[in-house]
Amino acid sequence: MSEERLKEIERSAEEIVESFVEAAEGLPSKRETYYSHEVYNIVRPDGEPSPSGERSEFRGRFIEIMPGSDEDGNLKVEVARWVR
Amino acid sequence: MGEVTKAKLEAIRNGELSAVENIRQALERISKLNPKINAFIEPNHNAISQAEAVDKKLNRGERVGKLAGLAIGIKSNINVKGLRATCASRTLEGYVATYNAEVIKRILREDGIIIGMTNMDEFACGSSGETSAFGVTDNPAAPGHIPGGSSSGSAAAVAAGMCDLSLGSDTAGSIRNPASHCGVVGVKPTYGLVPRQGLIDLAMSLDQIGPFAPDVYGVALLLEVIAGFNPNECVMLNVKGVSYADELEAELKGMRIGTSPKFRELTDPKIMEVIDSAIEKFHDFGAEIVEVELPHLEKGLPAYYLIMSVEFFSATRKFDGRKYGKRIEDVCGDEVMRRILRGQYISRKEYRGKYYQRALQVRTIIREELMAALEKVDVIVGPTVPKLPHKLGTSLTPMEMYAYDYLTAPTNLASICGGVIKAGEVDGIPVGLQVQGKMLGEGEMFRVLRAYEAVE
Repeated sequence: MSEERLKEIERSAEEIVESFVEAAEGLPSKRETYYSHEVYNIVRPDGEPSPSGERSEFRGRFIEIMPGSDEDGNLKVEVARWVR
Repeated sequence: MGEVTKAKLEAIRNGELSAVENIRQALERISKLNPKINAFIEPNHNAISQAEAVDKKLNRGERVGKLAGLAIGIKSNINVKGLRATCASRTLEGYVATYNAEVIKRILREDGIIIGMTNMDEFACGSSGETSAFGVTDNPAAPGHIPGGSSSGSAAAVAAGMCDLSLGSDTAGSIRNPASHCGVVGVKPTYGLVPRQGLIDLAMSLDQIGPFAPDVYGVALLLEVIAGFNPNECVMLNVKGVSYADELEAELKGMRIGTSPKFRELTDPKIMEVIDSAIEKFHDFGAEIVEVELPHLEKGLPAYYLIMSVEFFSATRKFDGRKYGKRIEDVCGDEVMRRILRGQYISRKEYRGKYYQRALQVRTIIREELMAALEKVDVIVGPTVPKLPHKLGTSLTPMEMYAYDYLTAPTNLASICGGVIKAGEVDGIPVGLQVQGKMLGEGEMFRVLRAYEAVE
């Protein structure tokens, strides 16, 4: 992409951002909405470790979606170039 | 009306049509029509053998899944193992998916056949189907005009009969906009109802995968297959199982249907004529029509473009060309570059909450307005796209292009559901009626869509 074309795209990108600032003028301040739901199933609500049954279920799900495994079901990872 | 998908499924189940015959017909139609329409980027060469497996089950009298033998097109930003998930970009041109997205696993479990990967706007950045690195898609319902986007190929493929059903994704209207322009049925589900695992993000807080079909039964069936909680995702609604297709009814008595004067302010009068006549029919079916206020609806669009740009900028940082594919900035088209630069600009300039934080506050305003309106009514109906699709190759400014999303982006900001059905035509071009429902209000939304379809 030419330098000139890139500059033109950058200018139009900035114009759109500034037009938003104008559009939002006079609107009341509110709490931000990041996601539609407030409750995510990220952590256990009691802060305790998961019971072993759930952990093995998690292992099953992890294995199902992992990109590669050996014959024992262990996750295969790429060894970094600097490892001897 | 509206029995195409059901009739096809019954024909396959009772042996009038084999799954293999159905897939062969779809592949033949793709090979005949795709050179002109360009709805598919890549057909699935294993589709016939998958169909043979379904026929074997049927011949042995075994139970088959809900989608047995249907040909399903998949938008090229959803991972299907062994097929290319290119996002219609040179960045991922040679990337072959190594796993199935959760929605694909669910389709395969119900014996649906993946017929191929459909064309789309590059990285879903577009509302016209013209930004694909693999060429533009034509509109089978209005040849020479844009099919809409970004799920351009998925809508065009269903409209042209190249597949029975298809999947798209919708971040600000990318299912509903092409459904409207191509005259098919398309649904953006409630955010969090359908798993996003395996979808290549445009904006993760807004993206939802959803179905296209020639009829309401088809979208209802495909949605009930792909919907429901996935324990591998942290932002999902705890919905265990849903049933829509067998519960479709066309009865509207007692329903309260809302519409807003704001739609008229933003929409081409010719389109509003078609929509007004559709709303009159709802009144004739026995529904009560109620006017609702959406005073800041038009503010949703600029807020959306800011939020999306920041999330997209973040999502594209992994396309650095080191491990796979090419560096996105080296090969992407103008619109993708514009969104990356805008995200970068906002991230650089963000201080005292002037941009991103402010856009998230406007999102709250839009969400509260739509929620308040949906407290008074069961659904809100109106136009889908404020203007008719332009002719392919017409030069538009970015703001003119973004204006296609005025009426669809607020649905995503509020995380509610929205469905589109053809309401009529203007100068031979389809015009879609949009039905917006509450969060998890897909049942009411389908009821209104089905009632309209039954009469039309």
